[in-house]
Amino acid sequence: MRITDLLKAEGIKIGAEVADKAAAIDTLISLHEACGNLNDVAAFKEGILNRESQSTTAIGMEVAIPHAKSEAVKTPALTAITVPEGVDYDSPDKNPCKLLFMIAATTDGDVHLEVLARMMQMLMDTDFTDKLKAAKTPEEFLALIDEKETEKFPEEAVKAEPAKKEGYRVLAVTACPTGIAHTYMAAEALNKAGEKMGITIKVETDGSGGAKNVLTKKEIEECDGIIIAADKNVEMARFNGKPVVKAPVADGIHKPEELIEKVLAGAPVYHSNETDTSADFGDNESFGRKIYKHLMNGVSHMLPFVVGGGVLIAIGFLIDTILGNATVNGAANGSFGFTSFAASIPFWIGKIAFGMMLPILSGYIAMSIADRPGLLPGMLGGMIAANGYTLKSMFEAQNLVGDSSAVSGFLGALLAGFIAGIIVNLIKKAFNWLPKAMDGIKPVFIYPLLGSFLVGVVMCVINPAIGLLNSAVSNGLTSLGTTSKLVLSIVLAGMMAIDMGGPFNKAAYVFGTAAIADGNTWIMAAVMIGGMVPPIAIALSTTFNKKKWTAEEIKSGPVNYLMGLCFITEGAIPYAASDPIRVIPSCIVGSAVAGALTSIFNVTCPAPHGGIFTFIVCGNPWLYVVALIGGSVAGALMLALLKKPANK
Amino acid sequence: MVQKHFTVVNAQGFHMRPATDFANAMSKFGCSVVIKHNGRDVDGKSLMNIIASCIKVGNEIDVICDGEGENEALAKAAEMIESGFGE
Repeated sequence: MRITDLLKAEGIKIGAEVADKAAAIDTLISLHEACGNLNDVAAFKEGILNRESQSTTAIGMEVAIPHAKSEAVKTPALTAITVPEGVDYDSPDKNPCKLLFMIAATTDGDVHLEVLARMMQMLMDTDFTDKLKAAKTPEEFLALIDEKETEKFPEEAVKAEPAKKEGYRVLAVTACPTGIAHTYMAAEALNKAGEKMGITIKVETDGSGGAKNVLTKKEIEECDGIIIAADKNVEMARFNGKPVVKAPVADGIHKPEELIEKVLAGAPVYHSNETDTSADFGDNESFGRKIYKHLMNGVSHMLPFVVGGGVLIAIGFLIDTILGNATVNGAANGSFGFTSFAASIPFWIGKIAFGMMLPILSGYIAMSIADRPGLLPGMLGGMIAANGYTLKSMFEAQNLVGDSSAVSGFLGALLAGFIAGIIVNLIKKAFNWLPKAMDGIKPVFIYPLLGSFLVGVVMCVINPAIGLLNSAVSNGLTSLGTTSKLVLSIVLAGMMAIDMGGPFNKAAYVFGTAAIADGNTWIMAAVMIGGMVPPIAIALSTTFNKKKWTAEEIKSGPVNYLMGLCFITEGAIPYAASDPIRVIPSCIVGSAVAGALTSIFNVTCPAPHGGIFTFIVCGNPWLYVVALIGGSVAGALMLALLKKPANK
Repeated sequence: MVQKHFTVVNAQGFHMRPATDFANAMSKFGCSVVIKHNGRDVDGKSLMNIIASCIKVGNEIDVICDGEGENEALAKAAEMIESGFGE
């Protein structure tokens, strides 16, 4: 509380002519009255006189400070007079008083004592009191005090504001469905209530113009609690482990103080279930757990895309089979699944859903790491991984066409998610220096702009490396040739399970389809079964070994039987992504076993896709089914062996 | 030299009347009186210094008397502070 906040020019009288102590007191009180500081003038005067009767308030050095703490005071305030002639105020040093201040203090708070102390510190300087006594106008008097106060307490001129900014006790998010008025009204009400209660508060507004004043991770970590005043969903995962009070946006407008009290009184701690892993992550997550959490955020968001898309594609196969399109003139049908009109609609809609699978995976991994700013760069990275875009393809192609040999697939998308999350977090750090006023443009301009550009460039550089790997693998396969049927079948089938759409899978698949043209249809048999085993092995495991999987994984397990039978290896991706180190090797073993069996059983397959529906055109179809079962059981047993029980 | 530790008990702290009384009482003794508050030495005989140091309720202070009549001065100081200056 600064003196200059309490003393106004209207409360100062220069050169007062007062005959005695009583007249001086009357003059000071009438100044208070004129400033509107008092509820009850008579009661206040009584308080002042009562105090004087105990002992004089003159402190020597020609200064007196009459004061009273009273119910009669409306607002804490000061008045002052200078008396050039001096007035007898029973001073301890017997000198008349020339400078008098009167403090009117309310009964609550320490204003009284603090103002007194502050005035004393200033008044001890006799040069200063001399100047005050010589002041010609109230404005000059006030200016002298202001100057002295700033000199004496320089820290507060600079410090008062930043001290508040260092951290916030309470954070809040306001949002309403339209995001135009209520969001901001609630924010204003909360800010005002916080100021009134002396609680530092920061309010994020999730309005129609995007989130403003976004809460940072550090602020969330350091705050005492969070108020959510919203009628729509807000980003909650970031508040994991913090006390959170949830209320309608109307409460933010009408009962802001109640909300603040509630959150400070100790609200229930919020646990994010956004990752749907049902796992309870404490504050001190280990590095591995953090990675797992990010991974699962991506996987759980991806799962519906895989299931929905996969089943639609399978329906396409089914319809074409019913309509007799599984074969064309007794031979394999290259456009099986989308030959008839009725089949092509679900098939391609399913493919579109599949097209979003990898961007969703990487986008939500990045979002888990870097909050909302991570979403765009993450999805972008996943898109580039899924399509095999490279710097070269961007520069050379007239229309953007990815390099199919540079598709880094789901492993590339996993990588893209983590890279994007880390890059966005680094960008956030790099732009910390920006003034607070610029905070609004960070999430809507700087993060999307820099984040997507950097992630895009990095992924376009990673993809060609994958392309090199792809061609190396292809060359290896070619040189392996058809010398050993058994070895090649095992290798190809196993490769299908390594990355489920990535360079190994692609190389094996292309090798298989090329072999059909050469008449080596036994190669395609190994390739296709290698891609069918992983989903079925996982489905078996979720059916018979439930303790290894989360509730969500078990629920979508049966769909994997269907996807496996349809040669939709992607069905295994969510399971592989959540625990790649254990799931992928299990799938590889299962696929390799199935590949070996097709070779031993002399199975042939002339169709490039279609799964179980094409078995009618295969050689030794019943043994093909036996090989499929054998490989799937082997994969499921490997999962039982390698996988740890799920976090439930 | 004698000294004693106190916690200020009266709700208003060393406001003007207690500070005046304290300074007046201490001035009667020949010894020096220093109040240690918040890491600073305050002249216990100076009303202005006492008030300027803004000693509030609950604050921890040390009163140090040194010289002639130091024991009596400290006893008087203790009586005043511990009684809350009669408030």
